[in-house]
Amino acid sequence: MSERNLKPTRKRRLLEVRKAVSRRQVILSALAIWGLFFGAWIISSAAGLVNDLLVPAPQQVFSALYELIAERGFIGDIGISIVRVLVAFIMAAVVAVPLGVLMGTFPAIEAFFAPFVSAWRYLPAPSFIPILLMWFGTGEAPKLALLFIGVIFFLITLVMDATKNVRRELIETALTLGANRSITVFNVVLPAVLPDIMVAMRQMLAMTWTYLVIAEIVASTTGIGAMMMRARRFLSTDEILAGILVIGALGLLFDILFAALHRWMFPYLREKR
Amino acid sequence: MSASLLRLDGVCKDFDLGRGRSLRAVDRVSFEVEKSSICVLLGPSGCGKSTVLRMIAGLEEPSDGQVLLQGQPVDGPGRDRGMVFQAYTSFDWMSVRKNVEFGMRINGISAAERRERAEHFIKLVGLGKFIDAYPTQLSGGMRQRVAIARTLANGPELLLMDEPFGALDAETRWHMQELMIEVANEEQTSMVIVTHDIEEAIFLADKIIFLSSHPGRLKEEIIPEFKIGHRIADKEQIIQLPGYAELERKIMRLMREEGTRE
Ligand SMILES: Nc1ncnc2c1ncn2[C@@H]1O[C@H](COP(=O)(O)OP(=O)(O)OP(=O)(O)O)[C@@H](O)[C@H]1O
Ligand SMILES: [Mg+2]
Repeated sequence: MSERNLKPTRKRRLLEVRKAVSRRQVILSALAIWGLFFGAWIISSAAGLVNDLLVPAPQQVFSALYELIAERGFIGDIGISIVRVLVAFIMAAVVAVPLGVLMGTFPAIEAFFAPFVSAWRYLPAPSFIPILLMWFGTGEAPKLALLFIGVIFFLITLVMDATKNVRRELIETALTLGANRSITVFNVVLPAVLPDIMVAMRQMLAMTWTYLVIAEIVASTTGIGAMMMRARRFLSTDEILAGILVIGALGLLFDILFAALHRWMFPYLREKR
Repeated sequence: MSASLLRLDGVCKDFDLGRGRSLRAVDRVSFEVEKSSICVLLGPSGCGKSTVLRMIAGLEEPSDGQVLLQGQPVDGPGRDRGMVFQAYTSFDWMSVRKNVEFGMRINGISAAERRERAEHFIKLVGLGKFIDAYPTQLSGGMRQRVAIARTLANGPELLLMDEPFGALDAETRWHMQELMIEVANEEQTSMVIVTHDIEEAIFLADKIIFLSSHPGRLKEEIIPEFKIGHRIADKEQIIQLPGYAELERKIMRLMREEGTRE
């Protein structure tokens, strides 16, 4: 009986307002849009619709990627880029998450830090590149500093706003059950806001990748971005596109990992939405 | 029985509306709650019932007047005054069992006692089958019962409840009302319960505080004379008692007056 109830009794239309689609449809749709993209690319290359010096065919890009990895140590560049992103992001998160939670919990702390944080948020991080290069030279430090500056102020603000959204009744319930200040913060506010913090981190990790590429294109001899700038000098558009492909794939991979981590950490949210 | 536990003395509450304007939500309200008694706050929507309850809980400070608990002015919230809120307050990241154990855990009750008391109260509110479920898997009314069990398990001296049974179906509501009477009898817990349901008020109350609105003033203090000395824990029985219908009519008249006063 229950099995029959699960089957839709009414004919589904293609577009239903906020009705979940089947897993099969999700996968097929994802494959379809990428199939269309690469299909159009392959056809326009083969038909000579585009200049193959500027837009090489996909198969050429993939073979360039293979060559980069097999013969020119591209894995090392990829590794360096990943390490830069992770180190800078973790440093930013270690500062931003506790500070954001404190600012969202205690208005006195917000009053002190918010004027500072908001101002910095409006300064585009790349405008610091010249001065960072003068301060830190050409090592890893200026790159990490750029990523750190680019991400931390947004992350603080997102975490603070998420913390402010923790419902007042939850906090008051804890207080009327006898919780003191630290129990309220650590046992109620923090677990209540943690899922939203993870979402904010996921968004900010994507932003870290953006700043990474800027840093590597402007001021680096290693990493994915630097490889792409080198390739430009030799007019190797296939290698540039291979670099873009790798950056995109890595971004997607990290996003999927974060989503999986979210599901694993917060099993109780699976029933919602 | 008649020793006073809680006294409100000319309590007022003004809310700041910004730009120098303020709203008087509660105006010179005074009443007493005796030890081990059930006091019901009744009145039309927006008359300040929740605000009065929040001041008793220590979540809001009176703008004027005093809230005295056993002679001492209330200074902030504490475990002696457990509160069940009008909105849902389940801790979504904890199972039902962990929710109900929360208060006892932070107050240093031993794991064994916690477990036993949590199971006892979860069964009392009829959620025994859902003890290891997460609140997100429960209906609104079930979550409200988790909140009630959590507050009861913490053993407060004074239980404050803000329209606790609003989201429940009629049958579950009767059951919960009867449960409250049992708890009050067995554990000698004092209660202040907010409602706008007349039947619920008469069934539960040893004393009814009727508030009028805008600003919230004490309009009348009503003692259901017909059940003095013996609380009735059976819903069917009470509506047949002489005096019940009369009291119901009286409160309905008060409500009408409030409704047409605007
Ligand atoms: N934080 C606040 N700021 C400003 N005004 C408020 C605030 N809280 C309550 N009020 C006002 O105080 C009055 C009383 O509100 P309260 O919530 O106590 O009413 P209530 O009797 O509990 O109503 P209901 O039965 O609808 O829950 C209302 O007019 C409301 O607008
Ligand atoms: Mg209310």
